[in-house]
Amino acid sequence: MAAPDLLDPKSASHNSKPRLSFSAKPVVLNTPDDDDECDTRTMVMRWKTVSAIFFLVVLYLIIGATVFRALEQPHESSQKLAILAEKLDFLAMHACVNSSELEDLVKQVVSAVRAGVNPSGNSSNQMSLWDISSSFFFAGTVITTIGFGNISPHTEGGRIFCIIYALLGIPLFGFLLAGVGDQLGTIFGKGIAKVEKMIVKWKVSQTKIRVFSTLLFILFGCLIFVALPAIIFKHIEGWSTLESIYFVVITLTTIGFGDFVAGEKGGSVGASETPEYLDYYKPVVLFWILVGLAYFAAVLSMIGDWFRVISKKTKEEVGEFRAHAAEWTANVSAEFKETRRRLSVDIYDKFQRAASIKRKLSSELGINASINQEMTPGKRTLSANLYEDRDTYPNLTLSLSPVTGPLTKNGSLYLNGLSPDYADRREIAIIENIK
Amino acid sequence: MHSAGRSWLLLTGFILFYIIYLLFGALVFSSVERPQEDQLRTEMKALKEEFLNQSCVNAASLEHFLVKVLTANKYGVSVLKNTSMPSNWDLASSMFFANTLVTTVGYGHTTPLSDTGKAFSIIYALIGVPFTMLVLTACVQRLMYPLVLAPVGLLQRSGMEPRPATVVHFMLLLILVVLCFFLAPAAVFSTLEVSWSLLDGLYFCFISLCTIGLGDFVPGTQPGQKYRPLYQVSVMIYLFVGLMMMYLLLRTFHKMADLHGLTTFLQLPRCEDDLDEDREPIVEDHHEGQTPRYLTDKAASRPLEPGSQPSYNTINKG
Repeated sequence: MAAPDLLDPKSASHNSKPRLSFSAKPVVLNTPDDDDECDTRTMVMRWKTVSAIFFLVVLYLIIGATVFRALEQPHESSQKLAILAEKLDFLAMHACVNSSELEDLVKQVVSAVRAGVNPSGNSSNQMSLWDISSSFFFAGTVITTIGFGNISPHTEGGRIFCIIYALLGIPLFGFLLAGVGDQLGTIFGKGIAKVEKMIVKWKVSQTKIRVFSTLLFILFGCLIFVALPAIIFKHIEGWSTLESIYFVVITLTTIGFGDFVAGEKGGSVGASETPEYLDYYKPVVLFWILVGLAYFAAVLSMIGDWFRVISKKTKEEVGEFRAHAAEWTANVSAEFKETRRRLSVDIYDKFQRAASIKRKLSSELGINASINQEMTPGKRTLSANLYEDRDTYPNLTLSLSPVTGPLTKNGSLYLNGLSPDYADRREIAIIENIK
Repeated sequence: MHSAGRSWLLLTGFILFYIIYLLFGALVFSSVERPQEDQLRTEMKALKEEFLNQSCVNAASLEHFLVKVLTANKYGVSVLKNTSMPSNWDLASSMFFANTLVTTVGYGHTTPLSDTGKAFSIIYALIGVPFTMLVLTACVQRLMYPLVLAPVGLLQRSGMEPRPATVVHFMLLLILVVLCFFLAPAAVFSTLEVSWSLLDGLYFCFISLCTIGLGDFVPGTQPGQKYRPLYQVSVMIYLFVGLMMMYLLLRTFHKMADLHGLTTFLQLPRCEDDLDEDREPIVEDHHEGQTPRYLTDKAASRPLEPGSQPSYNTINKG
């Protein structure tokens, strides 16, 4: 299919056949990617994707519900009021009818209509809903899973048979659809190949050709399977344009509400004139449904492919982004650690030197750190220097072990931890400045 | 080319068989339903005449009235009993409607009345249907492992040959699905819904889970239904999970058919995406004979793969 090829250039190499299969599976898209990913990572990501998509669907449903409610409830209320008014009018006009009788009648009429019998109108020339052509059409709607529901079996036997019939018929129809879809794809693909040959002469890029062929496919298909039938239905059935398009879409996606059904004059209940349907109208409608379904299957799978691609791309991008972010964080923290390390090494070095100098001084000058408080001018400048240094390293709690004698026993310096109470500023001043 | 000619032949064969099948169905439905219809028609006629006889209403005004009533009824608005019926478009019911739209079941018991509603439904469906199918595929792919591949592996390890193992497993899965998703819910529905028998419940479950959705039976639409929103939401969940299980069943069957060579023989779509995404045939790898067959036949069978996205009608395709 053009879409996956377009969006994933890698798959183009896999699809070495010149024919654009109408029917390439979404897997074509996934093949190259999955070869690269490892199993566990794919599994883990898929769960997340699945739940993400699931929540999206639920959200989509809720949005749809609110919109439908907003659009339809006013109409419904007005309908209710109108019909109530009608009923009261009727009762008022015909005084001999009482309310309960009328209700009975209405109930029975409604259930009859549900069973497909239309009690209004002249019953003599009414077509049966279960003559051969209509039953044929009904069987068709069951097998294609459209299920309009304007006719449905009411006998127990009919229902049981319907179940069995559908069980066998739906797979059968599935195979048929597969085959038709493929043939359709072949025909279309050949046409596209010819067009592509022409365009290649103009030296347009491969991607553009693929885009063009996808668009052509959509346009052409829409024309043949949607627009044309809609116009035909509009004329034969007498529906409005919107209603015809609505019918086409609802039928071809196999939703099949049944409020509009081609060939049943379902648009208006109780129309006394049934249009003269040609004998082959209903079978032609069925045939159109078959081919149109194949087309819609292709379109919907294309949309699905695009969703997949988008989700995959998003996943990739998010994955990339996360990888970048992790990398950045790792870098930053590594740098930070490095800086701290350097800092601590620096300070440690300084103190080591300070200790050794102190030792020298102690041995030369014989200074008793705890007693002598005299600060010579030299010492004062030294202490000032130290305070400056202390500002640049605010986090450092410099301290020296309490020195009582000329030399501490172990001469070790503590970088952190000891309270500055023991620090003798003078000594530090001397030591610091001698570096 | 041999394969092209063969595929055409097969296709025409399928079409012919399909037409015959339809005709057969038509005949049976016609013969079964028609007598009932005739009877109902005569009953209606009698009822109308009776009504007209004993009252001062003339035929024309009655007709007029009935037409109005039936049109309203078509859209779910009932004229019976002046009681305030719950709206068909409150939030839960609208969500139920959106759900039937998106899963392509499409009951039709309520349909959009306004033009805007119809236009919105078109767009909503075109986007929502593939979306839902995507979710279903994704979920089913995840479920394949615990529900299919693991048990089959288990069976194999306990000494079975791969082919019978898959068949046995498929049968078990089928029975399980029928029990949990058809019979049990049918029983529940027949008790919760006043006028439904067990057969009606079963019929409803089947028609819904195959996404046919005729709409003659819809749960939660009876007047005076208690806890209607909750009921409708739970039906929605049931539909979704049931659809998933149906699809899983079909996938399993498809893989099984692959294994038994049916799909190659009939040149039908193979269960390709499992090969690429799960990368695990349904049986374990120590039977080398089967795995190469997947890979070599892939190219040959590729031309015959139609739009494989599990779309609305792929309850029948893998």
